[in-house]
Amino acid sequence: MTAGAVFLRAAAHAGYYGLMTQLFGAQVRGGESAALVQIATGPIESPPDCFDIFVALDWEKVEQFAAEIPLDETSVVIADPHAGAIPAAIAKARPRTVSLAMNERQVEKHDNRAGERRVNMVAAGAVAALAGVNVADVRAAIEAIFSGKEAALVAVNIKSAAIGAAAAVGLTINMRLDPPKGAPRWLISGNQAAALGALRGGVRFVGCYPITPATDLVEWLAPHLKKLGGQLVLGEDELAAINMSLGASYGGVPAMTVTSGPGLSLMTETLGLAVAAEIPLVLIDVMRAGPSTGIASKTEQSDVNLAIYGAHGDAPRVVLAPISVADCLTTTEYAVYVAESLQLPVIVLSDQTLGQATTVIDPAIKRPTPLKRRANGVANEKPFKRYALAGEPVTPMPAPGTPGFAWVAEGLTHNEVGLPASGAGAHVAQINKRAKKIQRFDPGVYWGESWGNGEVALLAFGSTIGPAREAARRLAMNGHQIKVIALRVLSPLPMEALARALARVRRVIVVEQNHGAQLYHHLIGRKAIPPSAESVARPGPLPFRPSEIASYVT
Amino acid sequence: MSDHDQAQVHCVLSSKEFSSGAHPVWCPGCGDFGVLAALERGLAKHGRLPHEVVLVSGIGCSSRLPGYMSTYGFHGVHGRALAVASGLKLARPDLEVISVGGDGDGYSIGGNHFIHACRRNIDMLYVVMDNRVYGMTKGQPSPTTEPDWNCDIAPGGIGLRQFNPLAVAITAGANFVARGFSGDPNGLADMIVEGLRWPGFAFIEVMSPCITFRPEQTAWKKQVRPATPSIEPNRAAAAAAALTDNDLSIGVLYRGERAPIAPPAQPQITIGDIEQKFVVGV
Repeated sequence: MTAGAVFLRAAAHAGYYGLMTQLFGAQVRGGESAALVQIATGPIESPPDCFDIFVALDWEKVEQFAAEIPLDETSVVIADPHAGAIPAAIAKARPRTVSLAMNERQVEKHDNRAGERRVNMVAAGAVAALAGVNVADVRAAIEAIFSGKEAALVAVNIKSAAIGAAAAVGLTINMRLDPPKGAPRWLISGNQAAALGALRGGVRFVGCYPITPATDLVEWLAPHLKKLGGQLVLGEDELAAINMSLGASYGGVPAMTVTSGPGLSLMTETLGLAVAAEIPLVLIDVMRAGPSTGIASKTEQSDVNLAIYGAHGDAPRVVLAPISVADCLTTTEYAVYVAESLQLPVIVLSDQTLGQATTVIDPAIKRPTPLKRRANGVANEKPFKRYALAGEPVTPMPAPGTPGFAWVAEGLTHNEVGLPASGAGAHVAQINKRAKKIQRFDPGVYWGESWGNGEVALLAFGSTIGPAREAARRLAMNGHQIKVIALRVLSPLPMEALARALARVRRVIVVEQNHGAQLYHHLIGRKAIPPSAESVARPGPLPFRPSEIASYVT
Repeated sequence: MSDHDQAQVHCVLSSKEFSSGAHPVWCPGCGDFGVLAALERGLAKHGRLPHEVVLVSGIGCSSRLPGYMSTYGFHGVHGRALAVASGLKLARPDLEVISVGGDGDGYSIGGNHFIHACRRNIDMLYVVMDNRVYGMTKGQPSPTTEPDWNCDIAPGGIGLRQFNPLAVAITAGANFVARGFSGDPNGLADMIVEGLRWPGFAFIEVMSPCITFRPEQTAWKKQVRPATPSIEPNRAAAAAAALTDNDLSIGVLYRGERAPIAPPAQPQITIGDIEQKFVVGV
């Protein structure tokens, strides 16, 4: 894992773009793992069909990862001869194999910890050299990653990487990249980007409960939020996490909760409360494979139905999905503004592939225009009508502490003042009021994005967009013009923008990573796509490969 | 009312100023009327203006209370009042946050939040109106119901040991633990003032009879008596007292010295500082 991080950061330091995803076994700590790193001279948003190089430090339990590390005859496997024979799961792809002694005592051991890390750094140094990343960049990466560690450990790692780089010279492998166009860039994960987006949007309270793969998001947030004068509270469960966030938001502080599928299931009750009581809330769901506990550490896009429809009663909310790792930043910042301005819950549907990928991005990302909560009531109105029906559907919600406007946030069907009411009049009127907020919501340019002009369109969301775009690029090289439509606003569907995007399209293919074709049925049900639209839907945890999508289209 | 400044507050607030004027849904004779009166009197005495107070509740007869007061309020979902109140108080330490509700809401569906609110020790007050029955759903046994209380859903009685909220609160870390009685609104009002002013998480379990489903509870008026007057500053001793008393003693059982959670610090950095950490390359 550290070797992958060093290689990625070294490449980024040299001026390349890169993307790293990680695979873990079922162990709680330590044990087998794999880092999948791509680097290129331009931005990377898709997993590859195949990896060029596979470096094995050992072969223990590699079978469990084999399906997620595609190789073919053009791939090179670099393995330490001491690790033994190449297992069948890897050998069956018939890659070229190269021996590289990484595990020998080429470096004097200062202590056990330094010794453990040495092999990783030899591998990182070798791979970096093969890719054309020079030793100085590797050194800078090691110094950044091991900053704060003892000098001897850093020195051993740097020396080990240099040994790996020297050894690579003797290998007859040609995979040097073209020289990069360097510029100051950011090295950031999707979860970090989402967290930063929330901070930019003004979130200063986060209630949470640990859950893979969302925990690293809140762990990154905790110290930064504190230094910004905000708070992150670890709840006793997801019910507490979302209700604490809702309480803070009621108090006037933009608030967020962060979870994954199982947590979202528990939180749906309070999503309904946030809708009924009209309280802003941002909820990030970093989706993982389900149902039930599913696969905690692996990706899927199967919470679409729950995010859009979860909760009893009519409980409309806004559901957004980031369109790339970098866009986790923009989408989450935008989510805060939508929640605050419409006084309702906004769900950001990220997924493990986006959230836990670390990537190199250009930091000059367009920022949404800030939108604020409508806080000021009409003076001397007695009693204050928090849920007034005349006028705009978004009504003033003065924060507690404001003299003259005391109101009760009410989850029961209520009248304009906020007192419980069980008559048909108030019930229908308040449902209509909340529906009207959704109907009037116009995301403008934030509805999504589209690329290309073909008569065939791939329509995707979240981490499926990257491979769909890559598939379209390859098909274009073979003369097939393919349009890719990336949906950011999953609900309410941006009908006009979609209609514009689909105006000259004759064939629509909805690509998503779940078995039930959840997005497809949502689009069909709302008549956002024609009945002839096709569905490519399959569960995770394996990511879509560009070749998989391209072969379906043709 | 809203124009009064803080200096004037202590001599001008009356309990009527804390009433919204809405008519409660409670049955005539319900103990919760006494708790409502005690809260109005206690808050008037405490001196915070109505708009600086927030009442947070869950679901049940007693959880309707925020609508009957002129303060800010939050009537959320069943059992989650303490979580909402905790988030609110952490985000807005300047407000006086009071959570109210019943025994089913607080000890059954909200039991986990009750334990962790005691542990967290946020500076707020939690008042439970305990009538040992689910009233709004027409008479089912709650965690504090006697094991042999006969009812439709559990003929012959539920047969479970009664939950002891005072012992749980003391052992989990609440900083102020008391039992009050709705039939003594003045005494309860004083207890509420004391709970509001004591630092940390203050918990008052109020015996509040349900005259509809538990009419025998009207006898509590004659049965209650003052708790042992010596205040127990020792958590273990107070817990032992809570475990051995017979549920009818009224008074403060425990006053602790735990420091409540500190309010958030002033910002030390900007978002720009955070963004610098992501920069890599030339």
